[in-house]
Amino acid sequence: MRNTTFLCFSILGLALNAFAQAATSCKLPINLDRLAAKAAEVVDVDMDANMLQFAGKFLNGEKSDEAQARKLISSLKGLCVRSFEFDSDGQYGAEDVEAIRAQFQSPTWSRMVGVRSKRDRENVDVFFRMEKGSVTGLAVIAAEPKELTFVHIDGVIDPQQLNELGGQFGIPKVEMPAKPSGKAETK
Amino acid sequence: MNRLENELRKAMKREEPPEGFADRVLARVSERKQFAPMNFLMRPSFRWALAGALCLLLVAAGVEYRKDKQEQARGEAAKAQLMLALRITAGKLQLAQEKVQQIGALQRY
Repeated sequence: MRNTTFLCFSILGLALNAFAQAATSCKLPINLDRLAAKAAEVVDVDMDANMLQFAGKFLNGEKSDEAQARKLISSLKGLCVRSFEFDSDGQYGAEDVEAIRAQFQSPTWSRMVGVRSKRDRENVDVFFRMEKGSVTGLAVIAAEPKELTFVHIDGVIDPQQLNELGGQFGIPKVEMPAKPSGKAETK
Repeated sequence: MNRLENELRKAMKREEPPEGFADRVLARVSERKQFAPMNFLMRPSFRWALAGALCLLLVAAGVEYRKDKQEQARGEAAKAQLMLALRITAGKLQLAQEKVQQIGALQRY
């Protein structure tokens, strides 16, 4: 009887752990539904490792961008994109952006780029998570007057791969140091 | 001579078959037909079984084809989502780099 109970709890624990891992793959504050209600267009992409691998099977290796995408996703655990496009300015507040940004205020995450443009009212933050010398996560928060975008890539990202993506999907050739020495912020 | 003729006539005399002879012959014939080894492929049961198997095969092929199509559609949708997500990511990284370059250029002047 005790063994059965222990087994049940073990299975429950494993299931909860798996659920928790799946739930934390996308770092999002819970109040984004409010923004989605105001937005004229919403892009909501949330893919776990299985879905990424499944999508990868349908990528055409002969097309350069799809070949690069296949290479990039091979070691990813999750990909999450939320993009809200609004008809007019002021549909979201600074607190909404701050709530997202606050999720990356941890020792494992480093802000590599932080752009605050008062003229264009465009703010962009790029965060990297470094573990054992490799990039294991990337997050982008782009706040524009009529658009708010949040991207979270979970998994090992080879900086070289990001560099090779230059010209693919319009990704610039981002020069990334092997180990981030500090935050490069431009205001 | 007469004796020989008489004997021949007696031997060749028409005689009626015993009663029920025709029925017995017909019964034997139909009995033999019943037990005759029929060609296996011509048996109705075999033909029904074959038709059933073909129907099952067709249904299974149809189900498999439909499953393949659904899988293909799901895969294409997942791929489209992935490419959209990567395009958005790329666009925002591009924006970040442009901003950094703009501000860097302004600072130089």
